[in-house]
Amino acid sequence: MRSLLSFLPLLIPSALVSATEYHEQLNLRPLPLSALLASFNFRANTSIADFEAQNFRLFPRSLGQILQYAGTRELHLRFTLGRWDAESWGTRPWDGTKEGGTGVELWAWLDAETDEEADEKWLTLTNALSGLFCASLNFIDGTRTIRPVVSFQPEGDHPNTTLANTRLLHGVLPHEVVCTENLTPFLKMLPCKGKAGIASLLDGHKLFDASFQSMAIDVRPICPSEGECVLQLEQTVDMVLDVDRSKRPHDNPIPRPPPGHDLICDTTKPYHQPDDACYPIDHLRGQDWTLSQIFGRTMKGTCPLTDDEVPPVCVHLPPTRDLFASQGAHEIRYPNNDSLRCYHIEQDKEFTLVLTKSEFPSEGGEAAPLGIVKPETPVLYADRSFTGHGQEHGGVQAILTNPGDDSVEFVYMESLPWFMRIYLHTLSARISASSPNTNSSADLIKEIYYRPALDRARGTQLELLLSIPPRCTVFLTYDFERSILRYTEYPPDANRGFDVAAAVITTLEPKAMNIRTTSLLLYLPTPDFSMPYNVIIFTSTTVALAFGGIYNIIVRRMVGANEVPRTAMKDKVAAFIQKLKGKKTAVAAAAAGGKASIEPVSGTAEAK
Amino acid sequence: MKLSGLPLQAIVASVLLATTAVAEHTSNWAVLVCTSRFWFNYRHLANVLSMYRTVKRLGIPDSQIILMLPDDMACNPRNAFPGTVYSNSDRAVDLYGDNIEVDYRGYEVTVENFIRLLTDRVGDETPRSKRLLTDDRSNIFVYMTGHGGNEFLKFQDAEEIGAFDLADAFEQMWEKKRYHEILFMIDTCQANTMYSRLYSPNIIATGSSELDESSYSHHADNDVGVAVIDRYTYYNLEFLEAHVQDLSSKKTIGELFDSYEFDKIHSTAGVHYDLFPGGEEAARSRLITDFFGNIQNVEVDRAKDLALEEELVELSKTIAMLRRKEAEEDAAYHNVSSIPASVPTAPPRKIQGAKALTEDDWWTKKIIGATALAGCALLWGVGSFLEA
Repeated sequence: MRSLLSFLPLLIPSALVSATEYHEQLNLRPLPLSALLASFNFRANTSIADFEAQNFRLFPRSLGQILQYAGTRELHLRFTLGRWDAESWGTRPWDGTKEGGTGVELWAWLDAETDEEADEKWLTLTNALSGLFCASLNFIDGTRTIRPVVSFQPEGDHPNTTLANTRLLHGVLPHEVVCTENLTPFLKMLPCKGKAGIASLLDGHKLFDASFQSMAIDVRPICPSEGECVLQLEQTVDMVLDVDRSKRPHDNPIPRPPPGHDLICDTTKPYHQPDDACYPIDHLRGQDWTLSQIFGRTMKGTCPLTDDEVPPVCVHLPPTRDLFASQGAHEIRYPNNDSLRCYHIEQDKEFTLVLTKSEFPSEGGEAAPLGIVKPETPVLYADRSFTGHGQEHGGVQAILTNPGDDSVEFVYMESLPWFMRIYLHTLSARISASSPNTNSSADLIKEIYYRPALDRARGTQLELLLSIPPRCTVFLTYDFERSILRYTEYPPDANRGFDVAAAVITTLEPKAMNIRTTSLLLYLPTPDFSMPYNVIIFTSTTVALAFGGIYNIIVRRMVGANEVPRTAMKDKVAAFIQKLKGKKTAVAAAAAGGKASIEPVSGTAEAK
Repeated sequence: MKLSGLPLQAIVASVLLATTAVAEHTSNWAVLVCTSRFWFNYRHLANVLSMYRTVKRLGIPDSQIILMLPDDMACNPRNAFPGTVYSNSDRAVDLYGDNIEVDYRGYEVTVENFIRLLTDRVGDETPRSKRLLTDDRSNIFVYMTGHGGNEFLKFQDAEEIGAFDLADAFEQMWEKKRYHEILFMIDTCQANTMYSRLYSPNIIATGSSELDESSYSHHADNDVGVAVIDRYTYYNLEFLEAHVQDLSSKKTIGELFDSYEFDKIHSTAGVHYDLFPGGEEAARSRLITDFFGNIQNVEVDRAKDLALEEELVELSKTIAMLRRKEAEEDAAYHNVSSIPASVPTAPPRKIQGAKALTEDDWWTKKIIGATALAGCALLWGVGSFLEA
């Protein structure tokens, strides 16, 4: 069997080569207020036959073997930090599909006939991935795992027969920090290991200084209409850099106020006086940067394994802005999209881009005169927060706004920890009074999928199918109760609070996309952890004192000192002698007569 | 299958023994543990990370370093230098760098996990990067830092490891043949009490301060805002940087110990080699690179060993033969097992997933509730009637 498998690749015709391909692309998109979105995308394909024969070329062996061992059909892993500011940055990159909630999020379709088998494989998968990615993914246990019903659909092409025998599991760790140790294995999985190509720009110092960053790993089988099925590994990094902060020197990042003559002042303010009072509007200065400034290093050519057709760097800028590339790069413009320009780069030449300052904008303009492409308005805005006060009860309020002219249908999913016990009967959705269509608030929630929590065993799973009419804001609220944990269940930094994972919103109409709210920080009633020791010591003292006193009162007979009968020494000695005699006779009697005779004798001895 | 595997291993082992009989140890491992959480304990993470850089510099690969960091300093929002940790206010070396693998982090750093790691009592699902896969020819460098007291060391301000726990863990390692020699180094208040209970052989231990003595930090960085390194670790590193530049260094543990001075460290560093075979002399003569560096002596001198080569060819033939046999047996085994056996399968227990809430039986539920209430009222009525 084994030998047969190892020969398989030789038998497969050379058409396989086309199935094995790799490409990478960096998209730069300046955003308002000195923000810059950099989207790195790396995509490697391998044929399923190669994968099953463990013939890894572009697909990383470390991940491939884990997937095989855990019977994973499709895998999605996210490491996210920060918040996407939809109000000013617009729609999310990749429509939010390559983004996770704050912390680490993992969902996968596993080959399993039964749910127990799925749990077993899930345990294997999470532990193996925790070792590979240096994250505490092994903390995704039963209490943090859910089985979504409607929120997630497989992205790959699975035959119906295999899909019937797979299980979808979803786990999330909202408290997990994302740092360089997660980036290191991410880069090691790339064919060029971050040494060449766009990956050479990925530097932990800049990535983790970003206002928002999300690392994604997706593995999915793709079956083209003709040809062989391939397994696709897609790695994505999206980061929103603050250009001003990125340009600070690395060894001296502490912000210092700029000198007065460098400030751009808002002259429309009534208190504006030259050289005296100034309302700074530096953000209107517009962006100017070089690639090596914002990423801290230059790009080292291209990865030799990449597909030559795909230009490695693309920039979204209005066609009027000047952007200079280093020598040897070849610029391409697209007739159907004039705000996009891409660059082909020579293989082993260093590459950099220089964006010069746009002319100083005339007053009153919005985003357009700043020299950037205006971001699109998202389909839905979502915001979630806690309401209420006190340490026992609370509420959650999600504010969902549809800014568009079409009604939006979506699934709202929450995965809540067990110590946050929700009252489902308090779940309500109402349209805000200021919305134009207040009369249509009858049935906002169309379906509810709910799985209640079990203490210490599993968390709450709540999926709601909602529909929001155009230009409306909906308030989704429910109440919950905080449970009190056992003393040993508190983490070392219990006073920080407990993170509640982001709600996942999957829109179905008008187009499919994902939105995640921010995670929440839940304060649970937390004891003073030195208190138990105080209590133990205090109660032991009290009990000891009380016990001693009460015992004395109950057991001892109190008599006056003069009433004590005098026991002379003589009496005691006599009694002792009597006792001895009694024992002697008892022993003699025992030797002579057996048991029956002992009792009366000993009885007389005791009576004295 | 089993039978054919056994002699194969034995043969390979005997050959290995024959060639490397000179080497004292065959692998080097490092267990680097920080036990403090929270930003103001920045220096403890910096201590551990400087040790991490040192052992990595001297050639121990990431796969043989177990790094435990309970908190995240590099990407901490309070850190003015994102993605970096510095152990010196000159900020010359970024300890976090571009290539780091943290094996246990955050809440994973517990006393239980530490002892499980040392004694290798872990679950089947534990990945290799979280295990200490040592054997009786492995030298281990164990470094710990944090806040401690008389015979204990706090883990994340929530629990403690005692000197007896540590001693028992090392003894279990010795019994399980999990180490050849250990260098145990600890930087905490009253550190020397932590190794006072060790009762296993082949351990060299050193600590930063005596009973009733505190260990102190070395200096602070004003832009980071907190102290960045402890004195004892600082002077250890100073010695290692200055005198152990590469693996060819012949500096001994004794020379390192002699460099400890009260004037510099501000506490009395202690050493312990009671149960080291050969005593003080042998322990002090061990090279620093025996613990901080990776073993390199795996070269085989080919010119002299014609006989050995012949033997090896012979051996490889035997191995190939055994492999073939094994494969045959394997195939036979598979053929047997492929016969469908009527194994009674347990009925699959279904885990109930999330269910759609419907209002179908809403009326039924209402009626049941109403009936129950009416029944109660009736009972009460009858009761009060009878009473009257």
